[in-house]
Order: sequence, then structure tokens, then C-alpha cells
Amino acid sequence: MKLKVYADRMSQPCRAVIIFCKVNGIDYEEIKVHISKGQHLTPEFAEINPMKQLPAIADGRFKLFESHAILIYLACAFPGVADHWYPADVFKRSKIHSVLDWHHSNLRHGAAPYVFNTTIAPILGRPLNPQVAAEAEIILSSSLSKLESFWLKGNGRFLLGGNQPSIADLSLVCELMQLEVLDEKDRTRLLGPHKKVQQWIENTRNATSPHFDEVHRVIMLAKERQQHQRLKAAKNEGGSNMKRPLVSRM
Amino acid sequence: MKLKVYADRLSQPVRAVIIFCEVNGIDYEEIKVDLANREHLTPEFAEINPMQQLPAIVHGSFKLFESHAILIYIASSFPGVADHWYPADVYKRSKIHSVLDWHHSNLRRGPITIVQNSILAPVFRSPLNPEAVAEGEKILSAALSKTESFWLDDNRPFLLGQNQPSIADLFLVCDIMQVKLVGETDWNRLLGPYKKVQQWIENTRNATNPHFDELHKVLKELKEKLQN
Repeated sequence: MKLKVYADRMSQPCRAVIIFCKVNGIDYEEIKVHISKGQHLTPEFAEINPMKQLPAIADGRFKLFESHAILIYLACAFPGVADHWYPADVFKRSKIHSVLDWHHSNLRHGAAPYVFNTTIAPILGRPLNPQVAAEAEIILSSSLSKLESFWLKGNGRFLLGGNQPSIADLSLVCELMQLEVLDEKDRTRLLGPHKKVQQWIENTRNATSPHFDEVHRVIMLAKERQQHQRLKAAKNEGGSNMKRPLVSRM
Repeated sequence: MKLKVYADRLSQPVRAVIIFCEVNGIDYEEIKVDLANREHLTPEFAEINPMQQLPAIVHGSFKLFESHAILIYIASSFPGVADHWYPADVYKRSKIHSVLDWHHSNLRRGPITIVQNSILAPVFRSPLNPEAVAEGEKILSAALSKTESFWLDDNRPFLLGQNQPSIADLFLVCDIMQVKLVGETDWNRLLGPYKKVQQWIENTRNATNPHFDELHKVLKELKEKLQN
């Protein structure tokens, strides 16, 4: 029975699960559930995940939701998954649990609402909320600083001083890729100060190539559309504000 | 090499960790870090946990924070911990991960929002905020409703249809217990609609007593102190 992965690639944790499956040659079927069309809110999908969220998996009769639980299950249940993704060593594994949990309450807790309330909400027919965005930005900035100074401490290419990626790298980097849809000046302002973070995103991308780029195509397309809309809005604004040419008084 | 547990029993996840250690006969030393006196914000504690939060553990040269990670580590590393706390079976274990993660983003936020904007506000020098309390109650009720209808089986005493408690039962129940701080009337109002949840709390308490009651004494004591 093939593993079924219920996913919308606009969702950060969905991308992490799909990239993991592709990189590790896991035989799976991707079942697209479009959030923008409300397909996650149908009674059919509630049979798969009563919390009505993505991602979710069904492996035979076994159903599971929460992306970190899914990644851990896949790493443990499928043969051929290299140890570095979810090490057997109890000390390394514990540190991965620690950063995954920290991510939930910090990076994700900041990044997701910030991106949603500055950019994505209208795509889903919801209003932007600048106050929520402002609060989320504080959490996001603080989380990026903690990544730079603590989680990426030392000379390792990945989190926790590792030289190979783990499920934690995949989960957190996919979260940060959502920032691609932001206005370039906001994205630069947020990520610019953090050189290690930028390098680590690149390391993770390279380690999971070509799947990383392929799975992120949908977010890069969304980025292009957003940029196009911003340019259009700027042009319109520029037109209405266009000053009359100066007339000589001579 | 004794396990050191940095703790303030006012914190829900701290209580879960200590109850677990007591129930499982783990040799540990509790090192008190007083949240109300901001001892978690000192440079000394930042050496233990740079996120400056509780609980944190030190085991020899190994340091760890995030309470779920801590209990998984202890369950995996110490001999004599019965399998039901963190089963080796990959399916049962995955479901525990799932409810623990759901708990983080759903249940946990409810009690914290309620108590920190009402009875604990003066302890942490912040203003009372009835709107935030109302928001916290909504979050808690939604989470309790999901617990009643999904996470708790009709015929089994613990989460995920289990007959014995897991680390998930400890964490979720300790979080709900924080609501005791706002008093019996509010506790009864908030928990009243959820019969399975109430029974499950009692089941978890019985399975881990006398340690459960011992660890939760701090809530009674604090409530009395704040009311006087």
C-alpha cells in the first residue's frame, strides 16, 4: 500500500515532508488539497485529519498528522533513510526534538503570521492584519537571531553543528522559504543581518537538490506574482502623483 | 552522574517532568529557579539554557531544554521506565508525537493566556487583561472539545485509546491543572461540559499519585497567597 501524503505545496510543513520523501526515495502518492479552495475544510478531508490541517499522511490504515510527527515516522518506518536525518544516537536525537519544539513556538510562531498578515492573506480571501504582523515580526526577528547565534553556532553546515542535514533543517528552512513572497526590502531587512542563516538555507537547498527547487516552484511563482502586483501598484500610484512639468516663469 | 532538573513548580511542563521522575524512580536533583524573582533571566541560567526558560536539564555534560524533548530523553535513557510512557512501537510513538505537537499549538496556549492575564499578572508585573482572558478561554474550550471528541476514546482511560498513561497524558493534564489557579467556580465552568476530560484528569492523577498531588500543592499555596 503506497504512502499517501495530503499536501498543498504553499504550506511550509507540506514542502518539508515532500522533499524528505523525494530525497529518500520513499514511494508515495501526493494528494493535492488546495487550501485556497477550502478543500482542507471538507468532511472528506476531516476523515483523514479531524484537525483539518496539512500535511497529513495515510500509510495503509495508519493515519497521522503534525508534520514533525510525520517526518519522524517516515524516518523510522521506511528502509534506506540515512541516519543523519533522525539519528539513532539518543543525544543527537534529543537535540533534534529540542529544536523542532523550539521552532513551533518561535520561528514558526513568528514567520507564518508575519508572512500571512503582510502578504498571503488576500490570496485566501482574508484581510491583512498589520497589528498581528507587527507582533509576529518581533518574534521572527528574535528567532532569526537565536538561529544565528545559537542553533547555528560553530562550524557545522547545518543546525546543531551537524555536517549533514536532519529533519529539523528541512522543517525550519521550508518555513523560512515562505519569506520569499515578501517585498524584497522587507525580506532583506529581516534576513540581511544573519549571514549564517542565509548560508544554512543555501546548504540545505544544495543537500536536497534538485527536489528543493522543484517543490518550492509554487512559492517562487507566488513570489513573481506578488512582485508583479507591487510593481503595478507602484506604477499606478506614481501616475496619479505625477507632478506637472515645471513651467518657466521667464 | 545525577540528573539535574532546573525547575519552578509553578510551570506546568516542569511539574510534568518532576512527576515523571518521581513515578519512575529516577535519581535526580531539583534545582529551583524562581520565575517570579526572574532567576531564569540571569546570565548564570543562560549558561544552562540560552532560551532562559524552564524546564531544562543537565545530565553530566549533556544539556537539554524543551519539556517534550526532555521527557523523551529521560524515558529513552533511564532503565526501568515502563514502555507505556513512551512506547517503542512506531505507530503508538508517532501518535504521541502528534498529540504532543498539537498540544503545543492548541491546548497549551489556553491556560497560560488565562492565568497570566488574570491571577498571575501581578506576579509577573503585567496588567490585568480581561480581553486576553476571554481569548484564552476560547482557545482552552476549543482544545478541550477536541480532546473530548477525538483524543479520548470512549472506553479507555488515557489519550489515544491507551490503558496506561504516556508522557502525553502528563503534559496535557499538567497544563489544564494551571486553570485551578483561577478558582473552583471558573474551573467547573470551563471543564463542566467535558465529562471524559474530567475523568481522564482523575485517571492521570490516580496513576501518578501521591506525586501528582504533591507537585500541584504549589498551585493551592500560590492561590491562597495571592488572595490574601
